[in-house]
Amino acid sequence: MELSIEIFILATLAFGLMAYVIGRLHKQLGSIMTILGSLTIFGGIAYLGFTGGLTGETAYLTFTQFEISEFGLFFAIIVSFVFAMVSFFNPFFIKQYKYPALYSMLFMFSLAGAIGVFFSSNLLYLFFFFEFVVWTSLFLIPMGRSKKAASWYYGFSAAGSFMLLFAILMIYNANNGSFHISGIGSVTGTTQIIVFIFMSGAAFTKLGAFPLHIWLPKVLTNAPDPVSAVFSGGLEKLGAFVALLAIVNMGGIGFIIPSIDMYFGQMIIATLGALTIVFGTLMAIRQDDAKKLLAYSSMSNGGYILVGFSMLTSQGVAGGLYHIVAHAIASTAAFLAIAAVARVAGTTKMKELGGIIHKMPVTYMVYLIAIISMAGIPPMGGFISKWMIFQAVIDKGMIFIAIATVFGSIGSFLYVFRPLAALFLGQELPQFKKTVKEAPFFMLLPMIILSLLSVYTGVLPGVIIDFINKIFVDMQLNYNIVMNGFAIEGYTSGIEGVGPSLLNPLLIACVFGVGVFVAFLIFIVLKKSKKIDLMDTYTAGNFVYTEEHLHYSVDFYAPLERLYEKYIHIMKNFYKSLANKVREFGAFMKYFFFTNKPEITVFWIVALMVFLLWGDVL
Amino acid sequence: MIEILMNIGFGLGVATFGFVLQTAMGGINRKIAARLQKRRGPKWYQEFIDIFKLLSKRATSHGWIFDFGVIMALGGIIGTAMFMPITSSIVAFEGYDNFFIFVYLIAVGMLGMAMSASGSGNPLASIGVMRALTTMLAYEVPFMVVVMTIIKLTGTSSLTGIAVAQQTGDFNWFMIALPLGFIVAVMSLMGMLGKKPFETYIAPAEIASGPMVEYGGKQLGMLFIMHEITIFIEVSLFVHLFLGGAETIIMFLIKYFIVYAVLNLVSNVLGRFKIDQVVTFFFKWPLFFAVVQAMIAIHLGWVI
Amino acid sequence: MESTKYTQPVALSKKQVDRKWWEIGDFFRRNSLWMLMYCTGCCAIELPPAMTSAYDMERLGMGPMATPRQADVLLVTGYLSLKTLRRLIYTYEQMSEPKYVVGFGSCTINGGIYHDSHAVINQLDQYIPVDSYVAGCMPNTEAVMNGFVDLIELIKNKKANGWKNYHTNNAWYKKNQIDALGEVRIKDEFHQ
Repeated sequence: MELSIEIFILATLAFGLMAYVIGRLHKQLGSIMTILGSLTIFGGIAYLGFTGGLTGETAYLTFTQFEISEFGLFFAIIVSFVFAMVSFFNPFFIKQYKYPALYSMLFMFSLAGAIGVFFSSNLLYLFFFFEFVVWTSLFLIPMGRSKKAASWYYGFSAAGSFMLLFAILMIYNANNGSFHISGIGSVTGTTQIIVFIFMSGAAFTKLGAFPLHIWLPKVLTNAPDPVSAVFSGGLEKLGAFVALLAIVNMGGIGFIIPSIDMYFGQMIIATLGALTIVFGTLMAIRQDDAKKLLAYSSMSNGGYILVGFSMLTSQGVAGGLYHIVAHAIASTAAFLAIAAVARVAGTTKMKELGGIIHKMPVTYMVYLIAIISMAGIPPMGGFISKWMIFQAVIDKGMIFIAIATVFGSIGSFLYVFRPLAALFLGQELPQFKKTVKEAPFFMLLPMIILSLLSVYTGVLPGVIIDFINKIFVDMQLNYNIVMNGFAIEGYTSGIEGVGPSLLNPLLIACVFGVGVFVAFLIFIVLKKSKKIDLMDTYTAGNFVYTEEHLHYSVDFYAPLERLYEKYIHIMKNFYKSLANKVREFGAFMKYFFFTNKPEITVFWIVALMVFLLWGDVL
Repeated sequence: MIEILMNIGFGLGVATFGFVLQTAMGGINRKIAARLQKRRGPKWYQEFIDIFKLLSKRATSHGWIFDFGVIMALGGIIGTAMFMPITSSIVAFEGYDNFFIFVYLIAVGMLGMAMSASGSGNPLASIGVMRALTTMLAYEVPFMVVVMTIIKLTGTSSLTGIAVAQQTGDFNWFMIALPLGFIVAVMSLMGMLGKKPFETYIAPAEIASGPMVEYGGKQLGMLFIMHEITIFIEVSLFVHLFLGGAETIIMFLIKYFIVYAVLNLVSNVLGRFKIDQVVTFFFKWPLFFAVVQAMIAIHLGWVI
Repeated sequence: MESTKYTQPVALSKKQVDRKWWEIGDFFRRNSLWMLMYCTGCCAIELPPAMTSAYDMERLGMGPMATPRQADVLLVTGYLSLKTLRRLIYTYEQMSEPKYVVGFGSCTINGGIYHDSHAVINQLDQYIPVDSYVAGCMPNTEAVMNGFVDLIELIKNKKANGWKNYHTNNAWYKKNQIDALGEVRIKDEFHQ
């Protein structure tokens, strides 16, 4: 079977319109349309993509051009999958929104835009779809807690879009009026550097990387809970897509730094990626809101993707691509788990929550698996990608980047553990003993699927590695990841007699399973323990009857936070003072140009006319 | 299939060996410390008695996560130990003893223990976990930088590969080849083992032994087994990375004993840091030395 | 002369097997006594010399522990006022079984010099079961060590059964506790 990609885009849009119409009549039914729609789109793209049935011919949208590339397919499958999984949550959250029908429509429209971005071969229409995503997702955000977050998102996205547009026009100019996507790789000289800077800028804004990260935590905290999951797992990956085009596709930028064998441009990206990791980690550690914490963790993981890409080695780029998969799955699962808790408990503030596990064990397990993957611990997907990125960083011998990656990796244990300890574990607070109950089956279903996939990507990486190899061939890159049976080959040093480093995830998972089995045997043969209440706990002989007093959740990492809390507002203050400067500049302009005295206005008009005419004469 | 089962059996043997070795070593070192303080000290097999006693007692349990965490902790650590090479030829899964497995698979055990401790509902346990994780953030970064230097130099992240590179004479033992890095690694190892001055997260008089506050009976016994195997993994990691591994078991035992005994003696004369002191300490000199060592070794190529 | 012919070993009953396991467990338990020190009275000052190089209790396998869950022996070192008694009972009930109690000084035996105080209990044995006493006011450090060795002997001879008595005679102990304290668990000004 063969279908054009435009059918999918049109179908998505049609589903969106249907969801709107039906949603006007009945809220829930409209949101169920989003489930049907996104599942159909995901199923269709994945099935046809793997069987080679997708085509880029256009019959209806004749003004655009599509091309089926492996990396576009890669991204499209991930993002539509994330949309499909998150859409299961829509019916349960739809009541909270002011405009439920509009929500369902925009949800589908942003998916359509994302697919358009991934398959457009015309850069101008790529930009059009890019903007389409921004504009549709923009109105999803204010349906949550705060409207202000949307303006932050808009501000940064606008900056990113303009940078992308500028880069595209530069490419257009350099390629004699061709908007084709392959033109990115063929620009040279100063143009190349400018295009690189602007495209990376666009990627950084979308990915929420330092120093353009301010919007990400605001949006992910304040957006409706399912939308946060979509942003973190799906729409953020648009940034990774642009980053892949800019960093990998354009090749090395600038001169080579001899001692580490890296291009200067890539070095800058890697440094900014490393800063993103460190900033995200440090900020995530001190958050009290579980969603905000996960938002900063998304930022930090985006840094890993950038570091991986900028290494420009097989291990690095493959690690970055693998991290996109692993993080999309894990982060969506984590956000969904928190959303499920927020639905019944009414808050995501960790200091107000505690002991949720006793009522929501499945949600807890989903969250646990997700954070194991996010922290890069085997046997989950995140381990493999982090391992490959580590390999690449060591291979290049970049010490400071290595420090950042290690710091982010160990730091992620700290912050992902925080919601685990404060929100799920600890004392069961009395206010949740009655009200909280496990999420319904249709909310658990996507979460369980995501958890299983987290394990699958961590145990059998073969399918995804094959896909990544196909992407390398498709992008005409000279990279390749060799699979040795079930094992992934790491970097080969070139030193004689030393083979490549091997990682066998299946073996690790088996051995871990054996270990747990042995531990379980030890546990089960020994005397059964006496069940006691959570409140019956060591208090140095004191009698404590209040659960809150025995629940440690406020300022969890206080001693560590104290060490850097002076420095956390640097970037925010920078943007604030930048805003002030812009405002002052505007006031200054206003004073000169738009005064109440007509003669001054007339003078400026005349001056401008003279200037323009004079310029024309020259 | 048979081969894999053999290997797994072999791996379990390594884990058991590690447990027995470290438990005996722990007893012997308690004896040494006692002799230094003019005491007779316990029997050398005291730690075995302690663990079996704990396993024989009737424990209390705070719910399923409390038990599940303990099983996950011990399971993760046993799994990690199964990958550990003892000598360059005695290794259960040849070629797969990747350094990163030890660093990250051990974390499963740690996560399990932390989860179980928090599940007990005691605030002191959560404080202990917080301190343990913070300490981990402190010591792991300089240590990883040093190890990455070694991996870059030897060109392999396989532990036996690194050990063989030192034995065949491509490199001196890395304690000689990378003297600054060695000092850093010793300090990090002290942190890993939770020896004074970095035992802030146990602190019995302050937070009532931290994560272990609610454990008694078999759960505590299993955590003790886990603790012994963890120490085995960390010390042998150090032996393979910096002391040239071992050709024979005897050499391994000697090196292991020396490393553990020296660290024990050092820790016996030190006091305890506060938790923020631990962090600032590790991020000051050890990290600086580690970076200097990496710069010298990788970019200048000066390896003794 | 005994026959050398092979005889079928007699299968042990479940009770006998349990007993064997219990004896093995007792060996470990008596050689590894972890203490929880409830240092309310002056006798606590005898513990440091017992622990350090002068008497070195570690050679018996004993050592201090941080929480009641981990400990085997509860050391009650001296007089117990009513306020501390309820906390002692709470602590004792948190210990995991088998558990033992050692009473220090004459205060735990008959009230000692506080025998006529309205705020201090006289016989500890009325409230929680005590396995071994160390008499004296205050006891010598040798006596303290001797008390520990006595406890070890008691465990060996299966006579340290205080924790079982606490189960079987629980009603009696509870009655004594309530009589003295009113109620064991309290809601005072700190716990509304």
